[in-house]
Amino acid sequence: MVSAAHIRVYWQLRMASWVRRRQGLDVLPITLHRRRIYILPTRAGLGFLLLVFLMLVAGLNYANSLALFLTFLLGGFGLISMHQCHRNLLGTGLRAASAGPTFASRAGTLRLELESSASTPRYRIGAAIETETPLLTDLPAKGRQSIDLSVAAPVRGVVHIERLKLTTTHPFGLFRSWSWVHLPLRMIVYPRPSGTLPMPADDAQDAGRLARGGAGADEWLGLRPFRDGDSPRQVDWKAYAREAPLLVKEYSASASELRLFRFDALPRWGIERRLEQLARWIVDAEAQGQTYGIEIPGTRIEPDRGPEHRHRCLSALALHEHRERTQ
Amino acid sequence: MKTRGEATTLRPLAWSAVAFAAGTLLNADRVPAWVPVAALILASWRIWAAWRPARSLRLPGTLVRSVLAGLMVLGVLARFHTLNGLSAGTALLILMGASKLLETSSQRDERIVVGVSLFLLLAAVLDRQDLLRTPLYLAQVWICCTAMAVIGYAPTPGRREPGIGRGFDDRSALKLAARTLLLATPLALLMFLFFPRLAGAFWSLPRNDLATTGLSDTMTPGSITRLTSSYDIAFRVRFQGPAPPPAMRYWRGPVLHDFDGETWRRTFTGPYRKAPLEYLGTPYRYLVLLEPSSQRWWFALDTIGRRPDGPVFLTEDDELIGVRPVNDTTTYTAVSYTDVRSTAELTAGPRRRDTQPVRGNPRSQAFARDLRARAGSDGAYVDAVLNFLRTGGFEYTLTPPPLGRDSVDDFLFGTRRGFCGHFASAFVALMREAKVPAHVVTGYLGGEWNPVGGYLIVRQSDAHAWAEVWLQGRGWTRVDPTAVVEPERLNRGILDLLPGAVSAEARLVRASSWLTALLQRWDAANAWWTENVVKYDFNAQIGILQRLGIDSPDASDLGWGLAGGLVLWMVWIAWQHGRSAPRPRRDRLTLAYSRLCDKLLKIGIERAPHHGPLAFAATVRQRRPDLSGSVEALLSEYAQLRFGPGSGNPDAAAVSAFERAVRQLACRRESRVDPLR
Repeated sequence: MVSAAHIRVYWQLRMASWVRRRQGLDVLPITLHRRRIYILPTRAGLGFLLLVFLMLVAGLNYANSLALFLTFLLGGFGLISMHQCHRNLLGTGLRAASAGPTFASRAGTLRLELESSASTPRYRIGAAIETETPLLTDLPAKGRQSIDLSVAAPVRGVVHIERLKLTTTHPFGLFRSWSWVHLPLRMIVYPRPSGTLPMPADDAQDAGRLARGGAGADEWLGLRPFRDGDSPRQVDWKAYAREAPLLVKEYSASASELRLFRFDALPRWGIERRLEQLARWIVDAEAQGQTYGIEIPGTRIEPDRGPEHRHRCLSALALHEHRERTQ
Repeated sequence: MKTRGEATTLRPLAWSAVAFAAGTLLNADRVPAWVPVAALILASWRIWAAWRPARSLRLPGTLVRSVLAGLMVLGVLARFHTLNGLSAGTALLILMGASKLLETSSQRDERIVVGVSLFLLLAAVLDRQDLLRTPLYLAQVWICCTAMAVIGYAPTPGRREPGIGRGFDDRSALKLAARTLLLATPLALLMFLFFPRLAGAFWSLPRNDLATTGLSDTMTPGSITRLTSSYDIAFRVRFQGPAPPPAMRYWRGPVLHDFDGETWRRTFTGPYRKAPLEYLGTPYRYLVLLEPSSQRWWFALDTIGRRPDGPVFLTEDDELIGVRPVNDTTTYTAVSYTDVRSTAELTAGPRRRDTQPVRGNPRSQAFARDLRARAGSDGAYVDAVLNFLRTGGFEYTLTPPPLGRDSVDDFLFGTRRGFCGHFASAFVALMREAKVPAHVVTGYLGGEWNPVGGYLIVRQSDAHAWAEVWLQGRGWTRVDPTAVVEPERLNRGILDLLPGAVSAEARLVRASSWLTALLQRWDAANAWWTENVVKYDFNAQIGILQRLGIDSPDASDLGWGLAGGLVLWMVWIAWQHGRSAPRPRRDRLTLAYSRLCDKLLKIGIERAPHHGPLAFAATVRQRRPDLSGSVEALLSEYAQLRFGPGSGNPDAAAVSAFERAVRQLACRRESRVDPLR
């Protein structure tokens, strides 16, 4: 059965593809100009229209000059508010957009840098991914403002953000003007670090160390602030109980402890569970300052360490036989 | 626990409350006093709860709110016995608006409250369109628009929004709303001038709330004094051509035939055929602007020539009776004659009606018969009675002593002090007792000339009563016994003759010449407003088109004028906005970069969409090692300018240098065979 929602979605898709064909792919920085700003009345605007219509009918019915004048005044006000709403978006733009990686089932962040080339402030400019509820901000005259949009990332892989919406209902809220920005933005979603298997030793050198487990043998380095992806096992809970901030115990691995995390060495679980276990190890190993590499079917990353390396490894897990997702 | 008050912020709520309160105030004098008071209490309750959410009076739940709303509807019903009608509807709107305000917790609710405020404005405008109140109406429009701006700007509850909530304060909102309304004014004026006015009403609201003022269709001799104490305007008259002399300015109202010894009534006994009239002398053409009175009486000078255009009847007594009570200012054009004659016989019906003997009053009966017997004719008898009034020691006063049961006898032979009603009443009684047909005519006499506007103001204080007698060969003849007793009354208003007639303020106004002049100016402005704005109609629209030089204009010309003006206004607005928002220019750096990419594209090196400048440089190096020196330098320069330190505000000189370098870059297509090499 075809419901109103179906028709709505159908038209949204039709519109979206029309706008996409019409505008083409965008290159940052973008300044919004007339030809890409769309405008329609809001619900409140339709209510206002109804009110003006009723006033018109009443004014005509009673041949009441003053009521008619006020009706026309309000009608003109509505029309001008349309121009103003359109103009509020004119000259604003997007300077930069970047989506940092995140872990699955944790919201990612899309950082947008909005800017305005207009000589007057722009109020309540909203930015949103697709048709989500926009996050609003004010832009000073010829100024900038960064905002962070949260991006849902339920499963690991890549989230493609096809298009962004810049929108406003300012002033008076009678009209909503918006503009679409098509940017090929990708957000990598790492597998969720999970699993309880102890970290394997460098089994290429010494398979026996796998059983012994990792953390104990390492050299104590110190404490550092908690970061996303840190293992709860490494948190200094005693310090936390003393009302210190969340701190993580860091250990340094001795040069000899080269670890290679192998997909095939894991029990025959499902792919996702194995990737989650690998992610757990990578996060822990990096936190402990160890040198680690991964080997998954089709990819091998030689042992190394540092944030770049961690990102490479986790990305490899994220992209392993992943399905493309569109936000 | 989260209270309701936190769901929305105070500022937009306060503004919607202000708009609502202003709308209520505009209507406050038309609804029972408890209505605005109740509205105020509910509004304050809501504001207090939002202002002090921590120690708030708890906002009522759904049950309490429903009970309150029900009680208020019952209250309105108890007062008006209906919910239909302008006053009852307004009262209901105020109360429902207040209930809505009480439960307001979202942007949508606040907008609805502002909508209610605009409807309250409409209700007030439908009731009165005075010049004095117009600024208030405009202010209300301004307040409502400001409220809409503030509501629209309010932060979304429960979301952290960077940079919201500081820049756009109340002042900005007020300024923005004012600016927007000013820009809309040309359109409003244009539409006002050219939007075709429809004739006739689609529906009407009963109005039972207006106080009746002015003359009624009964008169006791003393009742006129109630009117004369009022300085209110009954109507204004603008003559086309010369005005009649002051002594001829009798404005005819109800004609009273029936006297029960105390009260004169306009008993309807007709219809009788009107005696044929000969209209002599100059006709006077004039426009009347009748103020609302809630009565059906229209007024015309002396004897009106024919029925004016409009919903009005012309009776056989030459009275004008509106089809509906006059609830709004009414305008009509009339032609009157001050000199008419009828040579026909008075038919039996009217004669019988207007010679009914007066009950009781034996002394005046004897006196009348005696006087009539001595006079040779009806005309001589009239003169004799007037002579009696002139010489009998009668006094014109505002405070006559009360009269007994035989009121005519008491007055003529006892107190001898009376007002116009006493004289007219006694005179007609004497006529009837001598079998001379006569009746009392009430209306207004005189009027104040307004030199500023060039029109006559007739006030309630000009109310008057006189008599008409039937004289063979002349027809109905006006006789004003008051003028015999106090001849000055013909030329001067009652206020000059009897200063005690009106209220202290009116006396004060008249005592000061500059205040009088000022008030005349104000009244001229009011008259202009009523005549040209309030009463602006289809005929006036056609008149304007004619003045614009269009021959025989009709409604389609109005449409063209409207469309043309609308287009001009749209262009003007678009220009206004285009001017204030400069055309967004593309970034010079981006422009130069895309020119560079275009140049490379021409020689067959295409930048992949996902490649940045540095990745592109690598491509160039791979494909055209010969170009790599110059192009790579440019690409890395671009990367530096765009993304390097200080890229937020790139140095203009560096950008210019980059542009120049791009322009000068020469890249030729790779030729496999280069003969020169």
